[in-house]
Amino acid sequence: MAGKRTRIDIIGDMLASILEKGGKIKPTHLMYKSNLAHGQMVSYLDELVEKNFIKKMKKGSNEYIIITDKGCELVQKLREIKEFEKAFGL
Amino acid sequence: MVKLVYSPQWFYGKDILIDIVSIFVLLLIAFFSIRYYNIKKNKNYIYLTMSFVILAGSFLAKILINFNVYYKLIETQDLGVVSAVYQSMKATHSIVITSFVVYWLAMIFGYYILYSIYQHQSLSNFLFGAYLISAYTYMAYPDYRTFHITLLVILGLITALHLKRYLNNKYLATKLVAVSFGIIAVSQVFFIFIDWNIHFYVTGELIQLIGYMGLLFTFIMVLKYGRQEDKDRYHW
Repeated sequence: MAGKRTRIDIIGDMLASILEKGGKIKPTHLMYKSNLAHGQMVSYLDELVEKNFIKKMKKGSNEYIIITDKGCELVQKLREIKEFEKAFGL
Repeated sequence: MVKLVYSPQWFYGKDILIDIVSIFVLLLIAFFSIRYYNIKKNKNYIYLTMSFVILAGSFLAKILINFNVYYKLIETQDLGVVSAVYQSMKATHSIVITSFVVYWLAMIFGYYILYSIYQHQSLSNFLFGAYLISAYTYMAYPDYRTFHITLLVILGLITALHLKRYLNNKYLATKLVAVSFGIIAVSQVFFIFIDWNIHFYVTGELIQLIGYMGLLFTFIMVLKYGRQEDKDRYHW
């Protein structure tokens, strides 16, 4: 069984979910895809916006979350770390 | 009495180059490991960095010993005076012995930290183990066989732990890490018998180089594939 996700794991899952959807996702979809409660997701989203990993965009009546270049770089770095962990057993 | 030179004359300096390559590989992986720690905040990255930096320090001490000894031998051979070598060796004897002890302790302690990462043992157990192997290594000096046998045991255990992980996860990179440590372990077998044949030292050094090159190759592969999205890339 997989262990409890750390904060950085959750952030990685959220950003990866946005990338999977082509870099743009609705907040409700993101909540389901990253297995988070609404309150938790809002807290993480605020942090990610503040750190410029994502930005929010309104299109008609819908709100979308868009990953930034900095967010893409973090996803890539986290993927690299995951491979390193697997290889060296950390 | 400590025997300082095991290398054939034609190999003087080449072993230093091999050790420099090992230091480069160790510091490169340590550098990335500390960078990853800044993102993940997982203490195992710190321990891996510590282990690899200590191992690099150990190789540096070995280089200093070899450089010192080879330089003196070559210098004396040019002079053609046998007594000059004795005098110069006596002058640097304490420095060489200190470097030797540092080299041995750092090498064993570095691999022991690496082994401890995978064992998830408590701090008290770790410190007790560290005390025992440090005392044992210090007492064993200058019997180099004991040193290489201890390294062989620790490296053998590290290899076994990685192989066990490979059997569970089937990742190619895990297998390559296991094989690399296995190769470094095999090099210790040759170092144990260097008194029998001087060329065992050369063979041991070359095998050790292959092991560290294996670690470098694995690390480059990890960096390369970490940037790809395909989930099954290791199941070739």
